[in-house]
Amino acid sequence: MEPENKLKFSLNIALVSGIFCITVALLLLLNFMQMSKNKPLESKALTSLVKRLSQEPNSDELKQEIRNFDLLARKAYFNSQWQVKTGGYLLLFGAIVFALSLRVFIGLKSKIEEPDVKDENDLTSRIMTQRWVMITGSVMIVLGLVASFASVDHLQKYDVNESLAETKSIDNQDKVEVIKVGEIPNATQPAIADSTKKLVAGNTAKVDTSKVKATLVAATKITFPGSNAIKVNASSFRGPFGNGVFFQKGTPVEWDAASGKNVIWKTSVPKKGFNSPVIWGNKLFLSGADQQSREVYCFDCNSGKVLWKQPVDNITGSPATMPKVTEDTGFAASSLTTDGNKVYAIFANGDIICFDMDGNRVWARNLGLPDNHYGHASSLVMWKDKVYIQYDTNKSRKLIALNASTGETVWETARKGKISWASPILADINGKFQVVLSTDPMVAGYDAESGKELWSVDCLSGEVGPSPASGGGLIFAANEYAKLVAIDPSKNSKVWESDEFLPEVASPVTANGLLFIATSYGVLACYDAKSGVKYWSKEEGPGYYSSPVIADNKLYTFDTSGKMRVYDMAKEAKLLGEGNAAEKVTTTPAFANARMYLRTSNFLYCVGKK
Amino acid sequence: MKCKLMLDRYLQMKNWIKITLVFAFLMFNLAGMAQKQRFPKPEFGTGYSQPTPVTPEPRALALEYTDVVVLLIVLSLASWFAIRKRSRKGLLWLSVFTLLYFGFYRNGCICSIGSIQNVSLTLFDPGYAISITTLLFFLLPLIFTLYFGRTFCAGACPLGAMQDLLIIKPLSLPEWLRKTLGVIPYLYLTFAILFAATGTDFIICRYDPFVGIFRMDAEFHMVVLGIAFILMGMFVARPYCRFLCPYGVLLNWMSRFSKYHLSITPAACIQCKLCSDSCPFDAIDYPTDEKQSKNTKWGVNRFLVYALLIPLWIFIGGFAGSKAHTWISKANPTVYLAELLLSKPEVRNDQKNLDVQAFLSSGKSLETLVKEATVIRQKFYSGGWIAGGFIGLVIGMTLLGQVVYRKKNDYQPHKGNCFSCGRCMNFCPVKK
Repeated sequence: MEPENKLKFSLNIALVSGIFCITVALLLLLNFMQMSKNKPLESKALTSLVKRLSQEPNSDELKQEIRNFDLLARKAYFNSQWQVKTGGYLLLFGAIVFALSLRVFIGLKSKIEEPDVKDENDLTSRIMTQRWVMITGSVMIVLGLVASFASVDHLQKYDVNESLAETKSIDNQDKVEVIKVGEIPNATQPAIADSTKKLVAGNTAKVDTSKVKATLVAATKITFPGSNAIKVNASSFRGPFGNGVFFQKGTPVEWDAASGKNVIWKTSVPKKGFNSPVIWGNKLFLSGADQQSREVYCFDCNSGKVLWKQPVDNITGSPATMPKVTEDTGFAASSLTTDGNKVYAIFANGDIICFDMDGNRVWARNLGLPDNHYGHASSLVMWKDKVYIQYDTNKSRKLIALNASTGETVWETARKGKISWASPILADINGKFQVVLSTDPMVAGYDAESGKELWSVDCLSGEVGPSPASGGGLIFAANEYAKLVAIDPSKNSKVWESDEFLPEVASPVTANGLLFIATSYGVLACYDAKSGVKYWSKEEGPGYYSSPVIADNKLYTFDTSGKMRVYDMAKEAKLLGEGNAAEKVTTTPAFANARMYLRTSNFLYCVGKK
Repeated sequence: MKCKLMLDRYLQMKNWIKITLVFAFLMFNLAGMAQKQRFPKPEFGTGYSQPTPVTPEPRALALEYTDVVVLLIVLSLASWFAIRKRSRKGLLWLSVFTLLYFGFYRNGCICSIGSIQNVSLTLFDPGYAISITTLLFFLLPLIFTLYFGRTFCAGACPLGAMQDLLIIKPLSLPEWLRKTLGVIPYLYLTFAILFAATGTDFIICRYDPFVGIFRMDAEFHMVVLGIAFILMGMFVARPYCRFLCPYGVLLNWMSRFSKYHLSITPAACIQCKLCSDSCPFDAIDYPTDEKQSKNTKWGVNRFLVYALLIPLWIFIGGFAGSKAHTWISKANPTVYLAELLLSKPEVRNDQKNLDVQAFLSSGKSLETLVKEATVIRQKFYSGGWIAGGFIGLVIGMTLLGQVVYRKKNDYQPHKGNCFSCGRCMNFCPVKK
């Protein structure tokens, strides 16, 4: 072929291949835009069908229709994928032809030219090179040094904090600030049958200590409530014994914060806290804290007025600064507990304090700064004369029993396993109370009197947040990424397990042979407690942090958006009522006096029939 | 006349041709992004049981050895074309084959450039065993270079082939810029070894600008980087090979000692200067200017100063490297995760942070993670001293090299920088 013809030919090839490339590229662009814009599974028709399915879950015809739509969407999607892939190869082929033809064209056009005169002075060039290489080297060194000053070694800091926490923990062991109390009688008291009977703490007297002025209880005789008295109150997080079941009647199933429907009163809580209300008689207790201070509040259940508010300060061994906690844990995540004589509160810095029902300080101590990367969140629970604390840190795991009257350590059981954020519950196993704890890797029962480990089943993993539940002679525990298990504590073995729906924060609850699980991704599931057979599941709302609880034989749930849904305790999902706090809810409601008490992000609500 | 007309047409078309190329490669990116979409699982049970994911089978051993054999053949042919046959055309078609085989067919992997990291890791981590194939991919080009110069770059490297084929109008860069940019491959090599030795990352593979094009699938920023290199390569020939390639550092060292290296002329140079502009990579050394090299006093003084400064460069470099170890070590995923969990504990609630969620679901305690991260950071501290010291040495030696004159009488390829592409041979009028 003549050189001129070759030139012309290569140019034409370049032109054609260039146009081809543009065309394919445009088609690919259109295809991509279409794929990005139309998401097949978000089509209105399919969404509407799925919505209908939630209303008619047993409609096979509807299911088939959804399947057909789904298949069609998938076919369209994979067809587009094929088009993209094929288009990509065509474009590549076109680009190769284009590049080669262009090279041939330029090769034919090139000609040997007269050599250039070297216009670069060698010496000047070398001096310039030295200058720039020195600048480059200096810049790199400066950058290295700047990087060292600009970066913080958090790993190094972690080591310092750990050793600090460990030292304080050792130093502060058993340092009780106020120990002067009256004579403590045998704590074994007969159960109080009448729930309305008031439990009186006895006389109070003020004494000075070397460091603080505190009111001491000179109790001549303290009566601890029995299980019947506890059952009619909301003595702990998730109600009596921390089990999530409230023995109340006539609790409300509908309310609305915005319109005020069924809202008896609403009040703000001075300081922030994620602890849930605990109630005894007409007194409701909460705590709040921030970086600067910690407080305990007592509200009147009837009016919402603050009956007393006490600071938590001047505690021997209390660290000068609060530990680092996550924003959604805060410094007052642990719920209080009360026995009707006194109220007990624990905070993120390890401070634990006891007030009588009138707000007089009885004792306080610091358990040692907890090395806890979220912040201490385990709530208190008590039985008879002991307050139980699941005091887990990254360094050590303990179950501590404090003397409710003096704050002294009665016993302390070191536990294996890893740090947990679950709360202890009290389970009646064969007529005797056990403290049951959930952690990674085990769920274990401890004798409430001696602290001795009675049984332990390895079944959990990860960072355990949900507390266990007890019912029908079984213990239920669960954690996200792990399992939902039912344990027979008398046989020290698992009865059944499941991993379909797992909670991250909300604890399971059981009653009437049914078990309920609420997940952080919005699924509420109901199981047969004995066999583990799933009866139903519903996905509604953004997710659950608030633990589902049972009151008046109804299941109460709050999702994080503040929406309440009340379900029938049945094998089929039946919504009995709805409510709305219209703000974020992560705490668990408490029920007393046929009313519901709920702490939201900003308020404390009393909900009941007006 | 006809030819002139065509030239005019060509010039008119030049602009849109460039735009077309940019556009075409941009489309690769869009195609890649589209392929990254995932289709969610059906929301209800269909009776279909999801198969358990398994680790894909490794490439059959026989095929791996085939790759080695192909590399050996390509290296042999490239050396033969460059040294004996003196055929630019042969090298060109060989590089086309390399681009298709090692580039598009083998998806840019296995690759001699990336094998540096495997070798580094196996030297520093007793738990990592390098495969014989990878080791051969690392060693064979170096051995060939030691004998025949950088014939690997000429015909056996897919990255080099892609850039070489797309050179349109190469520009000559001033020497100071070339030398200054020439420090970057040493930096890249240093960091690649440091990151591989600490088990942090294989950055050469991760930031390979062309692998996305070979695979027709890449992250957005990598496609942009690939396109940028290709566009730059049209005017600044082989930018990756000259100013980034870490393997090029080793090849450069080997090639300087090569026994048989490509020469511009097969016989005595007739000083015609026709080859002076033939190299798009500025790798031809001109004859020494006697007038300039005679300024000995200046040269000797500088030589002494630069020679004495080398230990200082090494120390300061090592010191800066060791000080920067905290910052550099954050590139390690374990260190990064531990730092993140300690500095921002609230990240644990971020369901979208898959690294954090994977850690939480693993059941591993924070304490263990921090311990692991501390060990890695300590490695970075030692590595920082060595890496910084090496970079200091490179700076010192580059400066020293600038005051050393070697007498050259002819136009010769620079043995370290020459890619043995053979372009200059075509310009030489001496054929025998």
